[in-house]
Amino acid sequence: MHYNLVLLKVLKMKKLKDSKRGISTTTIAGTIILIVIIAVAALYVLELPPFTRPVSKALIMGTTDSVESAIDPAQAYDYFGWEILQNTGCTLIEVEPGSSAEADDYNPALATQWTTSTDLKIWTFTLRQGVLFGDGTEFNATHVKYSFDRNMGIASPDGPQLNMEYDAIIDNVEVVSKYVVRFNLRIPFGPFLGLLACQASSIVNPEYSGGWKTNWWDADSWSTDDVVWFANGTDARTRNTMDLGPYRLANWTRVAGKDYEMRLEANPNYWNRAAEGGLPKTEEVIIRFYADATALRLAIEAGDIDVAFRHITATDIEDLKDNPNLHVWQGTGAAIQYMIFQEDHVPGLPQLNDAKIRRALAACLDRPEVCETVFLGQASPLYSMIPTGMLGRPEGVPGPFAVLGDANYTYAKSLLADLGYNETNKLEIELWYETSGHYPSSPDQAELYKSQFEASNVTTVTLQSADWPSYRINRNEGVMHVFLYGWYPDYIDPDNYAFLYWAPWLGHHYIGHNATNNYSAMKAAYDAARASTDETERISLYNELEGYAVEDCPVVPIWQGAAWAVTKPNIKGVYLDITQNWRIWLLYEE
Amino acid sequence: MGLRTYIITRILLTLPMIMLLLSIVFLIIRVMPGDPVLLHFEKKASEEAMAEMRRILGLDKPLYIQYFEYLVGLLRGDLGKSMQDFSPISDQIFSAFPATLELAISSTLVAVIVGVLLGVKASQSYNSLWDHSIRTLGIAVYATPIFFLGMVLQLVFAINLRMLPANGRFPPFLLEPNGLTLQLGIQTPDLVPIVLWFVPIGFASLAICITVLKRKRLRFWPNGLIAVLSTLLVGWVICMYLAWYFPSARTLHIKTGLYTVDSLMEGSPLKFVESIRYLFLPSITLGLVLSGVFTRLTRSNMLETLRLDFVTAARARGLKEGAVIYGYALRNAFLPILTMMGLQFATLLGGAILTETTFSWPGLGRYLVDRINFRDYTAIQGAVVYFAVIVAAVNLIIDLLYAFLDPRIRL
Amino acid sequence: MIKTRKAILTRLIPSLTSLAKRGSAGWMVIIGLFISVTIISMTILGPWISPHDPTAKLVNPPPNPSPPSLDFPMGTNLLGQDMLSRVLSGGSIMLQVAFLSVLFCFIIGVPIGLLSSYAGGIVDKTFTLVMDSFYAFPGLVLAIAIAAMMGRGVVNMALSIAVVYVPSYFRIVRSQVLTIRELPYTEAARAAGAKGRTILLHYVLPNVVPSIVVVATVNFADAILTAAGLTFVGLGVGIDVPDWGWDLTKGRALLPSGAWWVITFPGLMIVLLALGFTFIGEGLSELLNPRLEQ
Repeated sequence: MHYNLVLLKVLKMKKLKDSKRGISTTTIAGTIILIVIIAVAALYVLELPPFTRPVSKALIMGTTDSVESAIDPAQAYDYFGWEILQNTGCTLIEVEPGSSAEADDYNPALATQWTTSTDLKIWTFTLRQGVLFGDGTEFNATHVKYSFDRNMGIASPDGPQLNMEYDAIIDNVEVVSKYVVRFNLRIPFGPFLGLLACQASSIVNPEYSGGWKTNWWDADSWSTDDVVWFANGTDARTRNTMDLGPYRLANWTRVAGKDYEMRLEANPNYWNRAAEGGLPKTEEVIIRFYADATALRLAIEAGDIDVAFRHITATDIEDLKDNPNLHVWQGTGAAIQYMIFQEDHVPGLPQLNDAKIRRALAACLDRPEVCETVFLGQASPLYSMIPTGMLGRPEGVPGPFAVLGDANYTYAKSLLADLGYNETNKLEIELWYETSGHYPSSPDQAELYKSQFEASNVTTVTLQSADWPSYRINRNEGVMHVFLYGWYPDYIDPDNYAFLYWAPWLGHHYIGHNATNNYSAMKAAYDAARASTDETERISLYNELEGYAVEDCPVVPIWQGAAWAVTKPNIKGVYLDITQNWRIWLLYEE
Repeated sequence: MGLRTYIITRILLTLPMIMLLLSIVFLIIRVMPGDPVLLHFEKKASEEAMAEMRRILGLDKPLYIQYFEYLVGLLRGDLGKSMQDFSPISDQIFSAFPATLELAISSTLVAVIVGVLLGVKASQSYNSLWDHSIRTLGIAVYATPIFFLGMVLQLVFAINLRMLPANGRFPPFLLEPNGLTLQLGIQTPDLVPIVLWFVPIGFASLAICITVLKRKRLRFWPNGLIAVLSTLLVGWVICMYLAWYFPSARTLHIKTGLYTVDSLMEGSPLKFVESIRYLFLPSITLGLVLSGVFTRLTRSNMLETLRLDFVTAARARGLKEGAVIYGYALRNAFLPILTMMGLQFATLLGGAILTETTFSWPGLGRYLVDRINFRDYTAIQGAVVYFAVIVAAVNLIIDLLYAFLDPRIRL
Repeated sequence: MIKTRKAILTRLIPSLTSLAKRGSAGWMVIIGLFISVTIISMTILGPWISPHDPTAKLVNPPPNPSPPSLDFPMGTNLLGQDMLSRVLSGGSIMLQVAFLSVLFCFIIGVPIGLLSSYAGGIVDKTFTLVMDSFYAFPGLVLAIAIAAMMGRGVVNMALSIAVVYVPSYFRIVRSQVLTIRELPYTEAARAAGAKGRTILLHYVLPNVVPSIVVVATVNFADAILTAAGLTFVGLGVGIDVPDWGWDLTKGRALLPSGAWWVITFPGLMIVLLALGFTFIGEGLSELLNPRLEQ
């Protein structure tokens, strides 16, 4: 039978059927589906039984940070890695939350009391008794020695011990008795308490930290398994070497090689668990990782998370301040950003080994404009590598770099004219910035610095960019002509900022080409300030140091900023003090 | 050409194409500038250390051996190790793929539904204002950058109206949907009762079963019943043994990674609604951009079909217009739409990269963009290879489906 | 023969009045041409007609970003730059990338298509297989991988887009050649003793041109979208050149604070430009294949 004829037959039958019924099946089906959808939607909106949201005691925190290397004090030297170290691990002493980290703001933690010799070279600590590791072992002096020997021994090139020069400070750790440990230093070191309170000095659990080789980076001493053990994403990175802190890392989910979620659970063995109100204040904390600041802001605004910490952009902060459903917390600013000049020769570009060029470029910078435009006034201009609020850098007194001025084009022109640069023969520089959100608003800043340099009419700027891992490589290889860099303090002391003038990762390429350089005088002042506890002496030494720095301009401070946190209004216990530490164990929901 | 010949030819044609793609990707990644090992270690590592790392990644071997190992690895589903953290790339890709698949399926649904509805409307009112505006719309969505459309939808529905979440895949206050979990009987199995009771019973029922099945004339009562019962019993005993021997087999756990499906299997309506809510904006964005092609296809197909005799006849018989169009005429457009779905799959995956980046959707596209930012060459290679294989496979499946459904292709 | 060629060319480049007489397809071409020409000339004239320097900071004193006002009809962005000026001159990179990619595709795709289809045999089979493989591949994935490999720059971006679209040119040229080769007048020329090259250049190529133009316009529109996509995933050209794609990418961060104007205008410009070229392509292809116009 012909195809169409069959169809006609079927149609005929169908038509008869249709005419019998008043309403077609389609209408009925449609109505039913519609009713179901409306019913489900109504149930959902009214949060009736099947849709009741589970009452979770957990506090949910959102962040754009992620773990950069591992949660191990021998390897982590990034902001978030330290954050987790601090919340899951413990140090001998701690900084009083909310304090300004002065000498008397150090609280006992795993150590109960301490003494120091008059020459500041021998420090003796009496340890707390009865503190248990997760496996029931009692914490004692051997663990302190083990931790320092291990962390300094691993000497990971990216790790904090090497970069903070633990080796140059600590000679050895000595077990005096079961609960007494002694640090013998190589040099007199005033800020030693600060160093011991920082997360790189956390005590590791030997059971969890696995074997280590004296110098595991030395290729001769490794096997393939070791490398995989340290670097493997499913093994070492999910391994937390700590368990003395307020929390334990209960779960760490990574999707597609990226941090997705972390769950922290209260540590039942935490030594300070019985403190007033009980610590940690919240038993369970979920950390959610967001791809960018915009996503994080939208999440806190929608109420998906209770706390948003790092990074929320300046515009978003300003906008969220007006939101009655949220509370915006402003921290004390000790994070700084600065500009670095490559003094080695970079192919195809003028060498910046003459202090005049660097001073001229420094004079072109317009710090207030950056702070007002990109940061909407949330960052403040910085005229010293030691930020305002530290020893000898009181509020309202501009630092030594202020003598170069802001947007001081006449000065810049006169300096460059000496070297033969003018409107027709412009100084060419390459300015590098970071693109993967490691530093807030980097592209905007770079665009602004470019226009500030070019406003002098004697410079042309080419912008170059790299994502964070490549940026670090470029830094080490010395291929970046002029670039932006940032710093969060390891411990609160001018020492931890003044050392940026010869930080191991910068010093190699960036210092010491100037014919009249003051390198040795700077270093002498730095070492003297390190060994002194006399505040007036230290202040004058740091001023002397920075006086030389202004003449040389190897690095130029630009701005100083604060940490910001946004929470729901019922979240309390937020301490954003000068240490830049994020103490999750003090957060609680009211 | 018979159906079987067609299928074999089609598969054989796909193979050289995939091989070619794999080789292209391999070469593209190998000629990339920069040394990934240097990137991982930074400059401070010794030459020996870097050589060791190259050895681990197999990058020190001659190119043809690398190529051979790469192909052999692919056959085993091994895409190599990430240069960032040495974890297996295939694990990372498999953890990201369900998100992309869920987005792909839902946006294809959106595209087809929107496309067909608009296409039908346009063809019904041929050359009218409706027709022209729908056609223009079809072109306009095609000319819209996906991320721009995504941002506009975010602005309107998430930021201004606050109806839908703007980012992510699932709310943090809920645990991810866990899928279906079935208990297989014993929880704490003890060896003694199993040996004492189940082994003899198992063998006895097996024996009965075999005897019964050996008889030629099998009637349902009573032999058939005995056979069924003993088969069930044997099955149960085998399950018990398995459960005792493999602890992981005591519970059956089915998890697809598609949150909508998993939450339904878990029986949690809240999770289902939440996953739909999060899925909504991304799939609408991607679906709308793709819908233009389907609109046009449906329109032109319908215009042709509506002129055919049987439609006219159906109308003449007084059938309702809706029934004529959706019940009869649209069936003719089914095969072209199916083909178009296959052809559009590559475009869909490309669009998924931008959609995922806009909505922080944790899928393969975001993974690729991330890895590019870290210059993780082996991972880029893995992701691109995966994309290539998926596209080739989907095209093959659609073609085969087409061959089954359309008899003409077999001639 | 001359007549045929002329006829085809007239079909391709008809006067506007004759286009208008050809129904909706003609109108599509007219509208598309109007949009594209306007935007291209606007971009070229940008530096002269913009009220401010598009890269000058703080032309509007803080607070920024500020919503559209009389002074700044499209508002300002975070750095206090005038969005109108940025919109006026922000198309240059995309247009360069699109033009270059069309050029590259043309240079690579057409000769390969002609040669392959004319040579036939194993050469043709190989080329077809290679091109089909590329064609089946997700375009944006390929473009992203290649752009990431080659680094930033207009030419690199254009090349990575070209790789994706060469197969389209190849396919259309090949299928056209296979048809045209069998046409009586080509056969007549061959019978009259014309050489292969002559036939290719004088008989085949002119007839292929109209289809190529259609592919090229579609390619142009796609190239603009792909360029925007590459910028969005961080493979753009630079941040100190005004560019719609970059403004759109950067503006995303300001969106939740309600700064809709920062993304809306650059985004609409991309849509318009892509739409213009798509209209031309659609219209032309309908004029060349008037199957549905009865």
